[in-house]
Amino acid sequence: MDSLVTSNIRQRPLRSIISVLGVALGVALVMVFTGLAHGMSNDLQRRSANVRAEIIFTRPGSIELTSSSTNLSTKYVELLKQIDGVESAVPVIRYFYPSGSFGLDQVEGVDWDGFAKMNNIHLVAGHAPRALDEIVIDEMKASRNHPVGSMVKLFGDKPYRVSGIYSPESGARVKLSIESLQNALEAPGKCTYVLVKCKNPADQVAVARRIDQQYPGNKVQFTRDVFTSVENSIPSLKIFLRVLVALAAVVSALVVMLAMHTTITERTREIGILKAMGASRRYIISEIEREALLISAMGLVLGFVLAAGAGFFIHKTTGLIFEFGWLWALVAGAIGLLGGALGAFYPAVRAANLDPVNALAYE
Amino acid sequence: MPSIVRAEKLEKVYRVGKVDVPALRGVSLDVNEGDFVAVMGPSGCGKSTMLHLLGGLLTPTSGRIIVDGEDLTASSDAKRTDIRRRKIGFVFQRFNLFPTLTAEGNLRLAERIHANGAEDPDRRREILRLLRLEDKMHHKPLELSGGEQQRLALARAVVNRPAIVLADEPTGNLDSENSSIVLKMFQELNDRFNQTIIMITHNPEAAAACRRIIQMRDGHIL
Repeated sequence: MDSLVTSNIRQRPLRSIISVLGVALGVALVMVFTGLAHGMSNDLQRRSANVRAEIIFTRPGSIELTSSSTNLSTKYVELLKQIDGVESAVPVIRYFYPSGSFGLDQVEGVDWDGFAKMNNIHLVAGHAPRALDEIVIDEMKASRNHPVGSMVKLFGDKPYRVSGIYSPESGARVKLSIESLQNALEAPGKCTYVLVKCKNPADQVAVARRIDQQYPGNKVQFTRDVFTSVENSIPSLKIFLRVLVALAAVVSALVVMLAMHTTITERTREIGILKAMGASRRYIISEIEREALLISAMGLVLGFVLAAGAGFFIHKTTGLIFEFGWLWALVAGAIGLLGGALGAFYPAVRAANLDPVNALAYE
Repeated sequence: MPSIVRAEKLEKVYRVGKVDVPALRGVSLDVNEGDFVAVMGPSGCGKSTMLHLLGGLLTPTSGRIIVDGEDLTASSDAKRTDIRRRKIGFVFQRFNLFPTLTAEGNLRLAERIHANGAEDPDRRREILRLLRLEDKMHHKPLELSGGEQQRLALARAVVNRPAIVLADEPTGNLDSENSSIVLKMFQELNDRFNQTIIMITHNPEAAAACRRIIQMRDGHIL
């Protein structure tokens, strides 16, 4: 294709590559961050959806998004079972600890038989945790080279043996017996919350009211309210994502603007020739905009490829889940193209307004 | 012969800092259709300024320019650009080709600018044949000799059948052999297509190839 746009891009490969990388960086940033946020949110929701209990009984402030306390007596389990409308109740300890690979990790201590029965979870391999150093893990965790019998280090460097693999995924991916976690946390007779399953799920509001009346001062929550999406749990996440998107747009626009500004300075004489040939301002602006859009389109494709590669690599190394959405892909696409077009606009107008005689004399 | 370029009492004063520098001091000129005019004179006499004014690249301080019936001096910048696009072809001393495009690409660009995207491959081939560049169509300017580059620049100037070709020392960067070839091409275009040409030159041999010679000095036509 013998056009000024493509030949200019080919003629200055380093500048073109840097511009393409600049746009790709912005697009990849948007895709990776939004993919990570959605992946984590959806993963949490999927796992939460498999908790069949309708009510969570706990202490006020015991469960936060990334922390929990083990300060609820397990004696409430038997007391809650006696309340009218309650089918079963199981204690759970949820514990967050610093992870070696990425921020925080979590484990749950459960009474396996009661927990599995309540939530329709079954073992697909091995057996339930019996010894204090045994754990069960879900299939996702197992797929990362953790077969039954392998060793997993928790809480930093404490070794635990995988005794079983369960399905479907539910709550924390790693579960110990509640005794084991009480022992590890030096909290005998304590748990974080009690999951309460109602005989009739439609009566959960009435059952919750009865629990609250019977044991005031504690916190009675509905499962559906607790396990909401990460995006809703962290009010500033949406703002963060929007700021990120805006920053990505600015980065793309600035990179293209700088590249186009440089190229127009380099090509001042050529612009003078175009003007001498009778090229209108509109024609000159459109040529420069077309070049910017072509660079942006290449950056867009590269950005998507980089984001997919980064998502795959991060998932393999940390286990974090990425889910790329079409909507955010469209946003990233719009950022790449609009950022490029807007970034090139000022240099394009500047070029179109050059004095032709001065431009022709430019060395 | 009808007049195709008419300049009336053209004056051009450049402002350099706080000083006014007159370049043209009341130049009047008539060029008929099919003329091949040489403009000669010492450096700084106003030749290039006059050429730029006739091509609509500059606006005069005063005076009037009519090109093929259209008043350049009464036109807006956009209108002057449009007149330049439709009626004027430029040839420069330094060729001013697009180095990233092939010979054919340079011609096609001129066609696209002239006709908003439309191209005339027959005319292009005819011009390339006339200027003996048919076998250089896919070469980039830097792969051509100086003479070939200037012939290509000439081809680009005339490919859209302009009313006038304005040439600013077209042989200034060429050796005598290539100068002679390029001048013959100008003559052939003038003879064969009745192409009106106004050419600035310092070279008396080049001027001798023209039908009419205009001498300038100190912003005046002598």
